[in-house]
Amino acid sequence: MSILDRKLLRDLRALKSQALAVALVMACGLAMMIVTRSLILSLTTTRDTYYERYRFAQVFARLKRAPNFVRAQLAAIPGVATVQSGIAIQVTLDVPGLAEPAVGLLNSLPEHGAPVLNLPYLRAGRLPQSHTARTELAVSEAFADAHGLKPGDTLSAVLNGRKEFFQLSGISLSPEFVFEAPPGAALPDNKTYGVFWAPYKELATAFQLYGAFNNVALTLAPGASEGAVIAAVDRIIAPYGGRGTFGRENHPSHRRLDDEIRVLQGLSIAYPVVFLSVAAFMVNSVMSRQVALQREQIAMLKACGFSNAQVGRHYFKFSLAIVVVGVALGTAGGIILGGKLVAMYHLFFRFPQLAFVLDTHVLVLAAAVSSLAAFIGVAGAVRRAVRLPPAEAMRPEAPASYRPAFIERFRAAHWFSASFRMALRNIQRRPVRSALTCLALALATGIMIVPNAFRDGVAYVLDFQWDVVQRQTATLSLVEPQAARAIADFRHLPGVELAEPFRYVPIELRSGPIVRRMNLQGLSAHATLSRVIDARPQQLTLPERGVVISAKLADVLRVKPGDFLIVHTLEGEERDVTVPLAGLADDFAGIAAYMEIHAVNRLMLEGDRINGAHLVVTAAKWSEFLHAVKNTPRAAGCVIKASIREGFRQTTAQSIGLLQKMYMMFAVIVAFGIIYNSARISLSERARELATLRVLGFTRGEVGAVLVGELVLLTIVALPFGLALGSAFARGILSVVNTETVRLPLVLTPANYAFAVLVVAVASALSALFAARKLANIDLVSALKALD
Amino acid sequence: MPTAESVTPTSDTVTAELEPVFHVCGLARIYGEGEAAVTALAGVDFDLFAGELIVLLGASGSGKSTLLNQLGGLDSPTRGTLHYRGWDLGGADEPGLTQFRRNAVGFVFQAYNLIPSLTARENVALIAEIARDPMTPEEALHLVGLGERMDHFPAQLSGGEQQRVAIARAIAKRPEVLLCDEPTGALDVRTGITVLEAIEHINRELGTLSVIITHNAIIADMAGRVFTLSDGRLVNVRANTHRAPVRTLAW
Ligand SMILES: Nc1ncnc2c1ncn2[C@@H]1O[C@H](COP(=O)(O)OP(=O)(O)OP(=O)(O)O)[C@@H](O)[C@H]1O
Ligand SMILES: [Mg+2]
Repeated sequence: MSILDRKLLRDLRALKSQALAVALVMACGLAMMIVTRSLILSLTTTRDTYYERYRFAQVFARLKRAPNFVRAQLAAIPGVATVQSGIAIQVTLDVPGLAEPAVGLLNSLPEHGAPVLNLPYLRAGRLPQSHTARTELAVSEAFADAHGLKPGDTLSAVLNGRKEFFQLSGISLSPEFVFEAPPGAALPDNKTYGVFWAPYKELATAFQLYGAFNNVALTLAPGASEGAVIAAVDRIIAPYGGRGTFGRENHPSHRRLDDEIRVLQGLSIAYPVVFLSVAAFMVNSVMSRQVALQREQIAMLKACGFSNAQVGRHYFKFSLAIVVVGVALGTAGGIILGGKLVAMYHLFFRFPQLAFVLDTHVLVLAAAVSSLAAFIGVAGAVRRAVRLPPAEAMRPEAPASYRPAFIERFRAAHWFSASFRMALRNIQRRPVRSALTCLALALATGIMIVPNAFRDGVAYVLDFQWDVVQRQTATLSLVEPQAARAIADFRHLPGVELAEPFRYVPIELRSGPIVRRMNLQGLSAHATLSRVIDARPQQLTLPERGVVISAKLADVLRVKPGDFLIVHTLEGEERDVTVPLAGLADDFAGIAAYMEIHAVNRLMLEGDRINGAHLVVTAAKWSEFLHAVKNTPRAAGCVIKASIREGFRQTTAQSIGLLQKMYMMFAVIVAFGIIYNSARISLSERARELATLRVLGFTRGEVGAVLVGELVLLTIVALPFGLALGSAFARGILSVVNTETVRLPLVLTPANYAFAVLVVAVASALSALFAARKLANIDLVSALKALD
Repeated sequence: MPTAESVTPTSDTVTAELEPVFHVCGLARIYGEGEAAVTALAGVDFDLFAGELIVLLGASGSGKSTLLNQLGGLDSPTRGTLHYRGWDLGGADEPGLTQFRRNAVGFVFQAYNLIPSLTARENVALIAEIARDPMTPEEALHLVGLGERMDHFPAQLSGGEQQRVAIARAIAKRPEVLLCDEPTGALDVRTGITVLEAIEHINRELGTLSVIITHNAIIADMAGRVFTLSDGRLVNVRANTHRAPVRTLAW
């Protein structure tokens, strides 16, 4: 080891806590980078191998009914490699232990042989078989987990108006349903929506589809044009009630997963840039101080004949040591955080196995960018060091010159104490450093705002959904749509003060090539319970004609009020109806379509029919009401608002809670690191001054106050600035995150601001105290030794 | 802690009956331990009385600064007795030492140690924030002959002016003791004299017990008593029958 390297080690040991503070901030950025890049890698590789092994199709089409021979026509389209046709149909389920009816999407398994595309992955049990005593179903894992279902359990479903019992043969997953949510929903609701697999024969027989199919998936031959194949499929299935053909980019599960990866990509750049910039600044301040302290040593080295490059390299190595520690800590942190986040993804995305895969390339990248940050940080300081002519450097640095601070021009300045003046003038003497310290503290405050803005946004959406939009206490639904007279029965239930009917029809909404599935909600024009709210936000009166859809859905379908849309009904007699777009609803969760209830009845070519009613029930008669509902045979289910609300709150709290902890840790590390580093640097620069104060008889506490006064001022300035910055972050991130499936409003509350301020202020105060402990170590005698 | 007495004896009137300000007996300070131990003070005995002006002489490394730091409560002895007006200064704890420095001692160093971010006036006013009965900064600065330039920052003052600000700051709290470690070490003759004059003036006007370390034997003529240290021992104490006014000194 060269003598210079030995010096390096000793210098490092002397600066170990400061070096650690910088390394920690750097580690935050690197951990974020490693986590996000690794999650992207984990998700994409898991997805790609899953898609490939379980043969996820590339083009999908739904139709009303086509005889099986059409399959051969589809297979003959140039560019089509494999075709799988079958039945996919939505049914109402009665799940033991669940008050409300759940929705099941039943998919057929081929009558002969194994599936060739979208193969189910069996987690437990076996695939359902035909000709068993009781019809069998395989259930998706998410739904099974939500209800504690196991192979062997039974379940009933209404198939084409008849209630039938099924036995669960197994639990499985499918590349088609990685994200398993009802059409249009933002968050998976695994209690009320599940995917199932049934033998073709049973399903086809129940729906009078034997010898035909209503769902087709296909893969493309290498080099085939997806657009051309989609057009050809559309042409062939059109006579059979074709309802649009789409590629993977419009596949709901695939798209949701893609959205997630896109968000991760954004975060994988934004956060590391922020944290590494702060780390670069910290490296710069530490190294500048180090170079200033070692002026004479640098001069001596140069006088002895060391080259500028050698001296420069020496100091650069110093910061590389910080990088090494930062990369090590960042990698460890990234792996730990990654493991936790992957577990959180399991709530949303179901894969046979989703393991955290460390992206090893990103480690190289992490080392490279943090070295770059360190290099940028150290470059200025080292340039100053090597430029110093040896003779000049041998002399001690000229005394710092000061001016009265700007604000001392005001009259009130007369009352400033000497220590306050010292703080002001120190800030003013190093404007750039003060501004950057302030900025870093503002960043720490700002990043605290983001997760809490998410939390408040979710809370707002839930409140909006359940206090403004859905104002009922309970919703009763009927087994089957019935004549509107049924509502009279509901009105007579104990405690019911108000009952408003609704009609839900599953539909597909189409505009040109773009298709989305959802429920068309038929509501009274002047409903007071379940309401449609516009952007103002005020209740929107549903017009006699036309449909009202989510503003975001209008964006997706590229339509505006006055344009026409095709509504394809998926209940009863399936048909296409062209309706005008009458208005836009401002809602948050997923996508929705609303229509005046009688207009829905006309569209369905039916009389006054309803699916159920929204009710207001007095609290006093609540238990009587529940008891009566259980004995109402026609009521398929009763949704109690308060319990759903609680369920949502818990799921979101779980995932946001993790993010909150993560961001809080980052904020604390940055605030702590910046303050500690600044305090240590002032302590070093002002050792003589502080020792003088001690000699004059100032107590350690009083001198500590002088030391941190400057930082307190900077923190006070940084906090409001940080709140503004955090609000801007939250706005920016939301605009990236907001997609068709997930939308959040920007909600910034005083509590959020107060918490961010509190955390940063406490972290700063503790770190200042921690640094001020070093005051005890100042050796008064040696600090005051005459300048040589 | 005992309060300062109003008696202000000159060197001529020093008698054994007066209670000493400092009582020093067998005072030793050893730095380090074992092999590496350095004996800076090897046991010194003396008493210092109110209003005296003492000059400490000795070769470099003889222990002058070490002794001065002991008297000023900057450092504690390894062995021996160090009493300040009957109070055990040598055995005091950190808060006790801080209180002692705050109320009883003014320091002046070779490197003036002014706060660079405060003006001359503010450097002195700083004392007002902690002392019990301080002078106004103007009063203190006039005492050292710095009526003008009060609003200049240290970087805008000459060495002599800076040192006089340091003296003003040291005496603004009306200390019982003024300790000066080579106050003129960094100054030329003419400037050095203005600084010493300031110290002498304060010693006479306020009766502050003053101890000055110097390498310059000529300066010793302004003292009432001259102590000479060698290798950590007090080898000679000389009482001047006549204290030469600083103005008449020349080197
Ligand atoms: N902190 C310390 N650690 C170890 N030895 C020390 C320390 N301070 C002083 N010494 C030693 O104690 C002895 C006396 O030092 P002191 O500073 O009192 O000398 P001095 O008489 O003031 O010298 P000078 O005239 O050069 O200022 C010297 O040998 C010195 O090396
Ligand atoms: Mg000395």
